[in-house]
Amino acid sequence: MDSLHAIGFYVSSGVSVAGGLGVALLPRRDMRGASLLVVAIGLAAIYLTLSAGFAAVVALVCYAGAAVVLAGPRYRSLDVVAGPVWRQVGGVAAAVLLALLAYSAFRGAFAHVTIFHGETFGTAGIGRLLFEHDALAVEAIAALILVALAGGAAAWRVRDRTR
Amino acid sequence: MSVGLVSVLFVAAALVAVGAFAAAWRRDLTAALAGVPLMFAGAGVAFVGVARFGAAGGPQLFGQEFAVLLAVASLALVALGVGMAGRESSR
Repeated sequence: MDSLHAIGFYVSSGVSVAGGLGVALLPRRDMRGASLLVVAIGLAAIYLTLSAGFAAVVALVCYAGAAVVLAGPRYRSLDVVAGPVWRQVGGVAAAVLLALLAYSAFRGAFAHVTIFHGETFGTAGIGRLLFEHDALAVEAIAALILVALAGGAAAWRVRDRTR
Repeated sequence: MSVGLVSVLFVAAALVAVGAFAAAWRRDLTAALAGVPLMFAGAGVAFVGVARFGAAGGPQLFGQEFAVLLAVASLALVALGVGMAGRESSR
């Protein structure tokens, strides 16, 4: 990867993380929608610098759609009953999560053991196992989870209406 | 200046953490929903990065496929959540 791609990657990473902070901290929903649009642009640029052009286009369209939905007129707010202490605990937990993930990324000592066919069982091995050998099963499980979530939501609505 | 797997994973970690922070920090449940696409975006960046740098010799499309799936799922989740919040608040 040449330095132009690297500069593009780091700039678009900063743009997307800044947009994410805007989603977390800005008060109005139209500003949050605009921030999610910034995240979409940054994410698409990240994918482009990683030579994933099709994923960049799909991510741009999907995240821009999510931004429009979040900033649109159908938005209704629902207040949470959790108090400020739990919100602060959640913020600290997010910081701990960042520290853990950053430590894992910098340490970079991912598992490498030999499994069947003599392949290396690292991140590449897991990816190859999931998306080459068992791709259909992974997609089926993803579809099953999505249908289960939608069915659970629908059942909850029906039970709530008949109560 | 170069980009490696560590840089990509660090950016992915930052996106996941920002999404978790948004989901935990917002008092409005519908606004907290916007943190979930951020976490999905972080996961997608990690998948694409591993496919780009980690899967040496193999095709890069496997990670990209999952990043596409995550983007579509995040849009569906936001649309479902906003729709349910709209129905719930109108009662």
